[in-house]
Amino acid sequence: MLTLLRLDPVTRKRFARFRAIKRGWYALLILATATILSLFCELIANSRPIMVSYNGSWYFPAYRFMPMSAFGQSNEFGDEDEADYRRLKQEFAGTENWVLMPPIPFDPIENDLAHYDTPPPHPPDGRHILGTDSTGRDVLARLLYGFRISIFFALVVVLGSKIIGVGIGLMQGYLGGWFDMGSQRFVEIWSTLPFLYVVILLASIFEPSFALLVIVFIAFDWIGITYYMRTEAYREKAREYVQAARAMGASHFRVLFVHLLPNCLVPLVTTIPFAIIGGIFGLTALDFLGYGLPVPTPSWGQLVDQGLQSGNRGKLWLSLSPFVAIVATLSLVSLIGESVREAFDPRLYVRYE
Amino acid sequence: MIGTPMTSPLRGRIAIPAAILAALLCGCDSKPAENTKAPAAAATPIPTEFAAVEVDLSNVKWETNLDDPPVGSEKAIRGGTFTVATSAYPLTFRLHGPDSNDLFANFNRPYATDFTLTMLHPTTDRFIPCLATHWSVSADGKTLLFKLDPDVRWSDGKPVTADDYLFAYEFLKNPLNLDPFSNQRMEDYFEGVDKIDDHTIRIRGKVESWRPLYDYSGFSPLPRHAIVLDAEWSKRDNYKPPVVVGPYTITDAVQGERVEFTRIAKWWGDGKHYFRGMYNPDKIVVRVIVEDDREFDFMKKGQLSFYNVSSARQWATEMNFDAMEKGWVKRKRVFLESPEGVSGFALNLKTPLFQSKDFRKGLQHLFNFEELNKNVMYSAYYRKASVFYGTEFQNPDQQPYAYDPRMAREFLAKAGFDKRGSDGVLVNTKGVRASFTLLYATKSFEPHLSLIQNAYKAAGVEVKLQFLDGGALFNRALEKGFDALMISMTGGYYPEPHQYFSTEFKDKPQNNNFWGFGTAETDKLIDVYRFGKVAEERVKAMHELDRIIHDEAFIILFWTSSYMRFLYRYDVDFPETYQPKRAQTALEYQTFWIDPAKTKELEDAMKAGASLPLDPKVDEDPYGVKAALEKAGAGT
Repeated sequence: MLTLLRLDPVTRKRFARFRAIKRGWYALLILATATILSLFCELIANSRPIMVSYNGSWYFPAYRFMPMSAFGQSNEFGDEDEADYRRLKQEFAGTENWVLMPPIPFDPIENDLAHYDTPPPHPPDGRHILGTDSTGRDVLARLLYGFRISIFFALVVVLGSKIIGVGIGLMQGYLGGWFDMGSQRFVEIWSTLPFLYVVILLASIFEPSFALLVIVFIAFDWIGITYYMRTEAYREKAREYVQAARAMGASHFRVLFVHLLPNCLVPLVTTIPFAIIGGIFGLTALDFLGYGLPVPTPSWGQLVDQGLQSGNRGKLWLSLSPFVAIVATLSLVSLIGESVREAFDPRLYVRYE
Repeated sequence: MIGTPMTSPLRGRIAIPAAILAALLCGCDSKPAENTKAPAAAATPIPTEFAAVEVDLSNVKWETNLDDPPVGSEKAIRGGTFTVATSAYPLTFRLHGPDSNDLFANFNRPYATDFTLTMLHPTTDRFIPCLATHWSVSADGKTLLFKLDPDVRWSDGKPVTADDYLFAYEFLKNPLNLDPFSNQRMEDYFEGVDKIDDHTIRIRGKVESWRPLYDYSGFSPLPRHAIVLDAEWSKRDNYKPPVVVGPYTITDAVQGERVEFTRIAKWWGDGKHYFRGMYNPDKIVVRVIVEDDREFDFMKKGQLSFYNVSSARQWATEMNFDAMEKGWVKRKRVFLESPEGVSGFALNLKTPLFQSKDFRKGLQHLFNFEELNKNVMYSAYYRKASVFYGTEFQNPDQQPYAYDPRMAREFLAKAGFDKRGSDGVLVNTKGVRASFTLLYATKSFEPHLSLIQNAYKAAGVEVKLQFLDGGALFNRALEKGFDALMISMTGGYYPEPHQYFSTEFKDKPQNNNFWGFGTAETDKLIDVYRFGKVAEERVKAMHELDRIIHDEAFIILFWTSSYMRFLYRYDVDFPETYQPKRAQTALEYQTFWIDPAKTKELEDAMKAGASLPLDPKVDEDPYGVKAALEKAGAGT
C-alpha cells in the first residue's frame, strides 16, 4: 500500500502539505519519538538495572528474572529470590563491580513502603518525582508504562478495526446488491449492542487481558468506517479507471484493493487520529470503571480513579499527573488529526470544469 | 419480627436484612415462587377476634429471668432532643411489606418489631422478659408457652392482648403483606400460634430445636385495630405513622427533610427492670442528609447529636476539626463483640494446586496482614483467627496464621515447590507453576490486593487477579468454578457449619460449601452441634471443628473492626460501658441521654467560641475485647 501511495502524486502532494503544517508535523514527531521510546520503558523506569557488571561479565537483567545467586547475593531465605539490585548497588560500591540503574529506579508495580513511615500515597519528593499512589507505587513509572499500554492499545485497535471496516465497507459499495443489503442490516443490528455491557459480561466470563480488550474494541470499532468506505466505493466504482481495470481482466480483489482503495483514502486517513483518541480514551474509561486491564497493570484510568476517591481528593499529584498525561497525549493526536484533515481537504485540489 | 437461625435473633434490624441477604445469596431457604398464589387468601380478611384453646396450665413450669442488670444506666436523665442523620428519606413508614427493609428500618424498628416476646440480653447473652413476663418450653423445643405482660399498651393506649399476636401470625403468613420472606419463614418454622387466654399464648413450631427461644420467641404483635390487610394496604399505610409498642411514635415528617419521633409521656415500659435507663430523649429527630461528607460537616458544626464514623481514613486523618479541639464534639471508639460471618480468601480444594495442605499453609504464612493494616487500612483492624469469630464457638486457643515467609517457603517446598522457573515463579518437578487466579468483586480492595500480590510474588507465587461483578462472583462461588476468591458472608450467634463444611454439599454446586470441604470426622462434629442436647458438648465439638478448619487452611481469614466508632455532641452522655456488648448499631439499644446542664454549657461555649473540658480517652474497652484482640497479637 505504501508503494502505491508513493506513486500517487495527489497523495504525495497531501503529505507534503501535511509536513508544511508545522504544528501537526511536530506533534507527529514528538508522539512518534515518545511511542518508540516507550518501547524501552524497562530501561527508563525499572527496579531491575539496565546493566550489571559482575566479576568481569556483563548482565542485562532488565527484561528477565535473575536470582540472587547470580550475583553472589543472598537474603534470609537463601539465594533463590530475585536479586535486590538497589542493595546490590550499595554492596558493589567501592568494588570493580557495578550496577547501572535506569533513571527512574522503580518499576510500576512495586510498593515502595519500607522507605516511609506514613501510609501511602506519598507526595512528590526526591525519591519519587511525581509521588506514589495509594499502594506506594511510583506514579511517574506508572504514567510511562500506562502511556505505552494506551498508545499501543489504540494503535492495534485502530489497525485491526480499520482493516476490517475498510474491507467490508469497500465490498459493500463495490459489490452492492444482496451483499450490501445483508451486511448493512448486520451492521445496523451489531451497532445497537451496548458496548459497556458486553465488556462487563465478557469480563465476568474471561479474564480481561490486553488481547481480549483489543478484540472487544475491534469488534465494536470497525463499524464506523464502513459507512464512509461504502459510499466512497459506490462513487468510485462507476469511474472509468475501474472499468478499465475490469476490462483488462483484473480480479475483484485487485480492483478493490489496488485500484479503489488508494482513491478512497481520504476518510480513512482523516479519521485515524481521532480513532486513536477514542481508543486511548476508551481504555482509560474502562480502567477507571474497573473493567479494563487487570490489576496491577499500570493504567491512567486507574490513577484517575484513585485521585477521585474521597480520601485522595487533596492529593493532587494523583489526579493531576494522569490528567496532564491524558491531555498532552490526546492534544498531540488531535493536532496531528487536525493537520491531516487540513492537508487532505479536497477543496484545495478540486477543479470545477 | 421473627428471629432467624441465620442471624442475630431478636433485636431485629440487622437480622432481617442479613437473613434476606443470606437467603438470596445461598438460595437455601427462600422459595418466593410459592408466594404468588395470593388470590385465595385475599378473599378472606384476617379475623381480629380469635377463639381460645383449652390448655391445662396447672403443671407448667414457668421460667423468667430478672437477675441480669438493666441494659441502660441508672444515671440517665430524661428529656432533650437527639438529632441524627440518614442518607435517604424513608420510602415508607410501614414495618412490613415493600421497602420496609430500607435504611429507615434502623430508626423505625427499635420502637416496634424489636420488641418481642423475650429478648437476648445484649451483654449477658441470656434470655430476658420483654413483652412476655414468663415462658415455658417443651422438652422437644417445639412448643412454647408465653405469659404476656398485661401492662403492655399500644402507642394509642389500647392494651396488647393475645389476639394481637394471633393477628400478627396471620398477617405474616398472608401473601397480601407482599413480603415473601416472612411468608416463607412462617411456613417453614411455624405450625401455629394459639390463644389460651387474653394474656397467655402458645407457639407451636415445626422444627425441633435446642435453641427454641432463639428460633421462636422473636415474635412481636401487630395492632389488629389499626391494620386492615387488603390489596390496598401497602399503599394506604405507606406514610401512616405505625401504632407500636415502643416508647416513640412518628409525630412529624417533612418529605425529603426529616422525620420526628416523640416520646410517649407515660410509656408502659417505664417501670420495667430491663428498660431502666433506656429511651431517654423526649424527641428523636432523623434528618435527611444525602452525602456522608455533608453529614460529617453538620456534625463538625455541632448540629447533630451523633455521627457514626464509617471510614478508617476519616477516623485517622480528619478528627482535628475546630469543634473537636474545643470539646464541643467528642469521639469514642468502643470495642464490642458481634458475630461475624466468614470473610477472606476461599481456596477451592478442587483446584489441583490447593489439594496440598502444605501449599495452602504456605499461602497462609505469606499473607502479610500487618503490612496491609499499616499501609492501606490506617492500622484500624484486627486479624480474625476463626471462621466462627464473635461467637462462643470460636476455639479460644486459636491464633491466626502469622506472616512468616521463612515458614511459608518451607511449606511450599514441602508441597514440591522448591525451584524457581525462569520467570521467578516456583515450579514443581512436573513443571506446574505456583500460579492461580483470585476473583474479587470489591474494587476498593485493589490496593490491598496489589500489596498481597507483590508479597506472594517475592516468594515465587503468582497471584493473578480478576475483577468480577458481585453477582457473577457469587455465581462462580456457588458453581465452585474458581481457584481462589474473596468472600464476605453474614453470620449469626449460631453459625451454620452444615451449610459451609458438610460433605453433603462437598461435591455439589449451588451451596455455601464453596471450598468443597468435608470429612467423615467433621460431619460427626457438625452433627453434634446440630442435634446434640448438651450445650457443653456442642461447644466442644465446634471448637474441635474450628481447629480442624483452621489446620486445613483453606480459608485465608481477613480482619475485623470489632468496635463502634462515633462522634457525639458534648451534651450527649452514655452509660459507663457506652454500648451493650452485642450492639451492632448505635441506635439499636437506646441507652444514651441528653444532659440539660451540659446542653446549656455547650450553647454558651458555642456562642462565646470558648473551649469545654476535653476527654482525651478515645478507646473504650468495657468488655475486654480490645485486650483480647491485642493479646492474640493480631493488631495495633
